[in-house]
Amino acid sequence: MATPIKASTGSPARSVRIVDVAKNYGATRAVSGINFDLAPGEFVTLLGPSGCGKSTTLNMIAGLDLPTEGSIIIGDRDVTTVKPSDRDIAMVFQSYALYPHLTVFENIAFPLRAKRRRISDTDVRRKVMDAAGSLGLEELLDRYPREVSGGQRQRVALGRAMVRTPALYLLDEPLSNLDQQLRVQMRSELKDLHIRLGATMLYVTHDQSEAMTLSDRIVVMSNGRIEQVGTPQELYHQPTNLFVAQFLGDPGMNIFGGEFVDGRLQSIGVDLWARHRIGSLTSRINAGIRPEDLIAGDPETARLKGTVRTVEFLGSRALLRADIGNTLVTAFLPAQLKFVPGQPIGLDPSSDDRVRWFDAQTGKALDSLGPQQSV
Amino acid sequence: MRPTRRLALIGFSLVAAIVALGPIIWAVSTSLKTSNQIFAVPPQLIPTEATIDHYRRLIAEGVHWNFLNSVIYTFSAVAIAVTLGALAGYALVRFEVPGKRLLLLVFMGAMAVPGFAVLLPTQIMFSNAGLFDTRLTLPILYAAHIVPFAVWMTRAQFASLPRELEQAALIDGYGRWEAVWKVLLPGARPALIGAAAFGFLYAWNDYITATTMVETPQLRTLPVALIFFQGFHGRDWGALMAGVVIATLPPVVMFLLFRRYLIGGFSEGSVKG
Repeated sequence: MATPIKASTGSPARSVRIVDVAKNYGATRAVSGINFDLAPGEFVTLLGPSGCGKSTTLNMIAGLDLPTEGSIIIGDRDVTTVKPSDRDIAMVFQSYALYPHLTVFENIAFPLRAKRRRISDTDVRRKVMDAAGSLGLEELLDRYPREVSGGQRQRVALGRAMVRTPALYLLDEPLSNLDQQLRVQMRSELKDLHIRLGATMLYVTHDQSEAMTLSDRIVVMSNGRIEQVGTPQELYHQPTNLFVAQFLGDPGMNIFGGEFVDGRLQSIGVDLWARHRIGSLTSRINAGIRPEDLIAGDPETARLKGTVRTVEFLGSRALLRADIGNTLVTAFLPAQLKFVPGQPIGLDPSSDDRVRWFDAQTGKALDSLGPQQSV
Repeated sequence: MRPTRRLALIGFSLVAAIVALGPIIWAVSTSLKTSNQIFAVPPQLIPTEATIDHYRRLIAEGVHWNFLNSVIYTFSAVAIAVTLGALAGYALVRFEVPGKRLLLLVFMGAMAVPGFAVLLPTQIMFSNAGLFDTRLTLPILYAAHIVPFAVWMTRAQFASLPRELEQAALIDGYGRWEAVWKVLLPGARPALIGAAAFGFLYAWNDYITATTMVETPQLRTLPVALIFFQGFHGRDWGALMAGVVIATLPPVVMFLLFRRYLIGGFSEGSVKG
C-alpha cells in the first residue's frame, strides 16, 4: 500500500538537550530536575503513568508551555523562550488535532502554507502527494477529517508532521486512540517511518510495550521526575530502582520483602540470598526477580514456596500466578508443566545473578560490591 | 395521523401563516396601489392598476439616504461588536483574566437591562462627550448593545473547540493571530454568524434609540424617517407601506443567505459550552 519515500538527503535532524527543566503550576511542582538528551536521528520515548509529567515536558519542548526553570536546546540553539512556530518542530497530538474545516489535502498542506515558508503551490502539491503516497492516503485527499476512519485520521496527522522536514518530531501518545490491532500495525509503520526519515523523534506514551519496541532509548518518569534513562535492554535488565523494575515488563518484576540478615532475605515462603555483597547499610531490603527468571522447583526445598492461584496457557509457555507469603508472584513456566490452583509450588531463580536487590526505603537498586564472603 | 387531526394541523398552520405573512403581503399590496385604491371597498389584495409612484415619492423625499444610513450604522455596529465580542470571548476562554466570572456576570447583566431604561442617562453622557447627534452615535450604541451577546455566544463556541487545534497551528508555523484566524474562526463560524444576525436584527429594527439620540434629518435611520410619513404628510399610507417593504427586505435577504448557519449557530451556541 505505502510506497517508500526517499530518505531525506542532508537530514535536518538535530540533537536536543533538556537541561534542569522544572515547571510549576502555581504552588504545585509538575516536573523538576528534567535532564536528558536526544542524538540526531534518535528515537527517544518519555514513558510513565498518567500524571507523571511526560506531557508537560513535551509541551515545554514544543513551546506550548514555558519552563519555570532550566533550558531547552535544539541543535545549537537555546529555544527555551522561542515561540512554537520558530522552533522548527512537528507534533502529532493524541487527539490528532486535524482541522475540521479543511480537507485531508489541506490538512497535510497546512504547515507548508505558512507565510514564513514561501513554498509555491506546485511544490506544496508535490510534497503533499509524496507524504500522502507514503502513508496510503491518496484516495482520501478530498475528504474531510470527519469522513475518514480513526486509523486514517492518525495517518493524516502523521502526514501533516512529515510533509516538511523539521529538526524534531514530537509524538504525544499518537496510537492510544486506535484499537489494539491497528495500534500494533501503526507501531511498526512508525518505526519504519523513523528509519526512512532519519529524524529525531521524541515520543510520549504510558504503554511500556510501545516504548520498548519503538525506542532507541527510554526516559522513565514518575511523579514529575526522571526515574531512569537508558536503552530498553538496560532498563529491563538493570533497573536502577523499584519503580522502573515494576513498570517495565509485562507483567513487571516480582518484588519480595522480608528480614535481611547476613546476605539472606527471609520471610514466609521466601529464602533468597545474595551471591554478592550488597552495598547497603540498611537491613530493609527488597529482592526482585523477573517472571521469566523463575523456574519450577521442589515445593519442599525451593527458595520460594507457596500455592498456585491461577495458570494461563499462552501457547509456548504458561503464566503462573502463585501466592508466596503475602506476595502475588507471576512466573512464565514451560507450557507442558501441569499445575492446578491450590496446589503447593516451589519456585527458584534461574540463576543467582538474575535476582536484583533494592533498598526498600529509597527504592534504589543496590550495587553489588564483589563476592559475598560468607556464602 | 387521523384526518381530523391532520385537518386541524393544517388549519393552525394556515392561521399562523396568515398572522405572520398577512401584514407583509398587505404592505406589499398597499405599496403598489394608487392612493384612491388603498381605501377602496371591498379591499383588493391584488391591485387592478399597479403603480410604483409611492416608491418614487420615497426617493423624492430622500428616504434612500436614510436607508443608506441604516445600512452603514447596522453594518458598522455589527462589525465592531462581533470583532470585539469574539476577541473578548477568545480571551475569556484562553487566558487567565482577573475577575473573569465577574466580567461574565456584568455582560450577562448588560443583556438583561432593557435599552430604553438607560436611554436618558446615555443621552446626557453622550451630550457631554460631544457624541449626541453625530454619525458615530448610533454605531457606538448599537455595538455596545450587541457586544455582550457576542461575547457570550463566541465564548461558548471557543470553549467547545479543542485547544490542540490552535496549538497544532502554532507548531505548524503560524503566529497566534494567524492561528486564531485560520483555525479557530472557521470553527466558530456558527456563533459568529448567530451573533451577527442577532445584532443585525436589533440594530436594523431599532427605533427608540435612533429617535432619541439623533435629531438631524440627514442622520436619521430608515424607521425614524418612515414615521414622518405618518404624521406630517397627512398619513401617506402608500409611501409608508413602500418604506415598510424596503425596510423588510434586508433582514429577509440576510436570513435566506445565512439560514443554514443561523439554525446551527443557535443550537451549537446553546448546547455546547
